[in-house]
Amino acid sequence: MTTKLYSDLLAFSVFAVVIVFGIPAMFGYDGFELNTFARYLSLAIVSLALALSWGTAGLLNLGQAATFGIGSYAMAMHLKLKASSGLPDFMGWNNVETLPFFWQPFHSLTFTLLAGILVPAAVAGTIAVFMFRARIAGVFVAVITLAFLVAFQLLIIEQQGFTGGQNGLTGLAQLTLFGWDVDTYSVGFYRLVAGCLLAALVIGIYISHSKFGLIMRAIKEDPDRTRFFGYNVANYETLIFCLSAALAGWAGMLYVLVLEFASPTYMSVSFSLAIVIWCAVGGRESVLAAAIGAIIVNALEGRLSDVFVEGWNLLLGVTFVLVVIFMPRGLYGLAQSVGQACRRFLKSPAKKASIGVPSEGSTQITKEL
Amino acid sequence: MDVLLNQIFSGLSMASILLMIALGLAIIYGSMGVINLAHGEFVMLGAYCAWALQSFMGFSILVSLPIVFLAVGLVGWIIERVVVQRLYKRPLDTILATWGIGIILQQAIRLGVGAESRFVKGPALLDGNLELGGVFLSNYRIFVIFFSLAVLAGSWALLTKTEFGTKLRAVIQNREISECYGIESKQIYSITFAYGAGLAGIAGALITPLFSTIPTMGTSLVVDAFLVVIIGGLGSLVGAAVASALIGEVTALFSIVMNDTLGRIAVLGCIILLIRFRPRGLFPENTRR
Repeated sequence: MTTKLYSDLLAFSVFAVVIVFGIPAMFGYDGFELNTFARYLSLAIVSLALALSWGTAGLLNLGQAATFGIGSYAMAMHLKLKASSGLPDFMGWNNVETLPFFWQPFHSLTFTLLAGILVPAAVAGTIAVFMFRARIAGVFVAVITLAFLVAFQLLIIEQQGFTGGQNGLTGLAQLTLFGWDVDTYSVGFYRLVAGCLLAALVIGIYISHSKFGLIMRAIKEDPDRTRFFGYNVANYETLIFCLSAALAGWAGMLYVLVLEFASPTYMSVSFSLAIVIWCAVGGRESVLAAAIGAIIVNALEGRLSDVFVEGWNLLLGVTFVLVVIFMPRGLYGLAQSVGQACRRFLKSPAKKASIGVPSEGSTQITKEL
Repeated sequence: MDVLLNQIFSGLSMASILLMIALGLAIIYGSMGVINLAHGEFVMLGAYCAWALQSFMGFSILVSLPIVFLAVGLVGWIIERVVVQRLYKRPLDTILATWGIGIILQQAIRLGVGAESRFVKGPALLDGNLELGGVFLSNYRIFVIFFSLAVLAGSWALLTKTEFGTKLRAVIQNREISECYGIESKQIYSITFAYGAGLAGIAGALITPLFSTIPTMGTSLVVDAFLVVIIGGLGSLVGAAVASALIGEVTALFSIVMNDTLGRIAVLGCIILLIRFRPRGLFPENTRR
């Protein structure tokens, strides 16, 4: 356990240095490039949030995009109010005469930041209490969260007067944070997003190495047995769902800052499954791997979709199917078995290692499936 | 009164389409435990197949149904052989892999045929309406309702009355023991998956005159069909029929009191409640697993 914590912290520090100093230097502090990369970083947060509930506790939440969307709309509502004097423009087009009561408090930034984290957590908590008290597990969690996501997106599109409908919230103002006008094309903003990602990672790593994380893994392996040990499984599951949703909401707020609009497509089924793809490619068991998975897939998408405009999705689909079949634990599992092979190679004499090691590495994988 | 009758009929029509799509999914999920998120794309393939047969060969939809069934079934068979077969021990991963397959199929069609929407004419034989108590019922929709019931009966007969069905049920109950008795469980699974895919293809061909045919049409359909299967109960054909009738009718009746979107949201809410309180569906199987 301690060696694992040690290697996790080492990987985290390397990652932190690369993200905070390496990437800006690589792009020559170019504002546009850094803005694009900040987008990947905010998506990395939602991917690691999914890794917390899916990888640690084994709850596949296909509705992660809903909580992400709530966070993004909270931030967008604040910025929209800031941009418009009086009533936001789309409300006038939809014959809404006065500002609805739930828009009022979004004038305040503090409220917005709290709402962007707490409202998603509360929504996820409600669903979680509802599901886990009935001991719903496995596929049914995926189905219920998926159905909720579809219903929620329909509701947002339907309530055009309050949410901007299909168009979402556009024409947003710039955020002012403690008197600093956040220019989204600056190095400062990039460092802000990177800092948020690193903070989220610290939370994630802390959770997975704490006793709480251990109980979550026990629940994933065998919920009934954990229950016999006297743990209230439903409460633990609810808590991890809330935490994951809070992180997703946080990611959503950053995402709106980067893109400068909020749209109901953030809550679509395909976006939600895209999050699952990133998480699976990186490796669902480690929050750091899930974050890296999101960055890699999105960065590749950014680069490759310029080259093969149409073929990109095809490539993504093929890669994903291959990952699921041959690398069920993602890049993390791959890195782990390579690392184990190296360690054995260093310990044992060279001739023994060259024959025995690769097969042992692969049996390790099959055993843990 | 007319409004009510009209809505009941449109609910039935929607239910028949849902049933056609969900049947294949119910068979695949029930017999193999594979959650096939590519099912919507099989429906889409069926629709494009019908479109291609009509615009290049001049076939009417009714004539092309068997061809569509075989073609989409073949695609399903290949996918089962190449991908799904490797994942039987990891059911949650089938969700991911089949979603990936769905992306591939969708993009392949977009590249090959184009993203614009395609239209397919309904068969001339079934043009026109039937007037019943002041309500006009489209002949084609009536045909789809009866056709879906026929497919339901056919699938039921296939699973319970034929040698193939007996073998499949044996494999579902205990794969190892069935193999000891000389049943090739791999082949049984491949054929079952192909059959489910073929049914989805037929469903796609049948809905072309009613829906616009676009590469993304499958994504929304698969969610609905999946909900039907879960509500009906694991692999129960009767359950799938009842659940689709229920969802179709309730959606139609809700749309009288509120608008279509709110009706759908309300139905989704009811579905979530139903899964919460009856997670094994309306017609749970009484076998030991």
